Amino acid sequence: MIKHYQDRLVEINSKRENAALHVQTLGRFEVWREGNAIHAKEWGRDTTLQLFQFLVTARHRRGLHKEQIIDRVWEDLDQKTGQQKFKVSLHGANKAIEPNRPSRTEARFIIRQGLTYQLNLNEIWIDVDALEQYIAIGNQALPNDKETAIEAYREAINLFHGVYLPERLYEDWSSEERERIQVLVLGAIITLGELLIKDNPMESIRLAKQALQIDNAWEDAYRIQMSAYFQKGNRPQAIKTYQQCEQVLEKEFGIEPLPETKALLKTIKGQ
Amino acid sequence: MSNKKDETASFVLRFTQKIFQSEAGEPQVQWRGNIRHVQGGEEQRFSEFEEVVQFIQGKLADLTIQAMGDKSPDEQKGILAKSFDLWKKMASTAPKVVLDTIKDPKRQVAQFQDQIQDQLNQFKVDFGDKIDIDSWMASSKSNNKELMKMMEKMSKEIQSLNKKVDKLSKKLKKD
Repeated sequence: MIKHYQDRLVEINSKRENAALHVQTLGRFEVWREGNAIHAKEWGRDTTLQLFQFLVTARHRRGLHKEQIIDRVWEDLDQKTGQQKFKVSLHGANKAIEPNRPSRTEARFIIRQGLTYQLNLNEIWIDVDALEQYIAIGNQALPNDKETAIEAYREAINLFHGVYLPERLYEDWSSEERERIQVLVLGAIITLGELLIKDNPMESIRLAKQALQIDNAWEDAYRIQMSAYFQKGNRPQAIKTYQQCEQVLEKEFGIEPLPETKALLKTIKGQ
Repeated sequence: MSNKKDETASFVLRFTQKIFQSEAGEPQVQWRGNIRHVQGGEEQRFSEFEEVVQFIQGKLADLTIQAMGDKSPDEQKGILAKSFDLWKKMASTAPKVVLDTIKDPKRQVAQFQDQIQDQLNQFKVDFGDKIDIDSWMASSKSNNKELMKMMEKMSKEIQSLNKKVDKLSKKLKKD
């Protein structure tokens, strides 16, 4: 079983090494073709980028109809204008990611089946996909193989450089994925932070601070930080962390910390 | 004419559930959350659902105001009043669905299952056996057990209190 989890980690890492196309969506958007970054001018119009980013976001839906894509990405356009924009943008995206493809040959990365389109995930490495797979391995390995779980969570968290597609923050179609990934990452950071309190409290503190940068009212992160400072023997800093937690919860929600957090404070104070 | 983007307000709503015991040992549930207006990017935290309703109301009012820049003041007033009426109707029912789900998630899930089955019946498709909610809501099982234990304990205490009250009333009657 332990080998099985390790094998899966190796599998994800090897896809990262061997994929022909790499896509970063977290913190900033960037695509590498055979290891070389595709420059902004190669994408040409913003609509080309929009289309490709939408296909990345909808990667798990098995084939989207052209009209569905137009309706989601360019909802203001009438069908005729939308179809034209789609055609131009698809051509632009294919040209950016496969500049040397001979004409009249099948596209390698954006697969067309009839009137539906989808990304060929066998050939493309996408950071959010890898992040999700690392977290899944971490969660599954956790009960029996703590070391592999720690490794998997670390890999996932290392991929998180910021929010999903920050330049599309105000686009409806990207919101669901942004929220889903953020909650997933917060969960992984908290789990890893808890796992490391005893052996590496400094790392737990760093992780807790990372979680609080994402959401400064995430109470679990304050508790991890308190426990880690206490573990290090830094009682004043642990108490100060509780006070910060108390202030933030009061300011943001008008509520007190949970009894669990209060009980931890009592333990720290030696009451 | 306004375009579709100007006519749309999307919201991302996040609930975080905290189950804990009060200092008196009673089980408590707390909901915390945040709501984000996608097109504007503004975000607000909440611990009461009314705050969500107000936030959405504010954004919808902005949307209505933006869309009627070319109307006369009287027309603007009328449209805004109608927009508020619509929202009032919506707000009086929508939070109820959410609150019902919070109060009794199992019943809501069962209702959703029935609704799906009804839809599928139209196409003569069998949904198969209904999933036993208890089997996949494993995380709340311990809480349910704890609740059951506390309720049993409470009902025993009430029974013994009732007996004491009966005894006292009999005694009072005799005196």
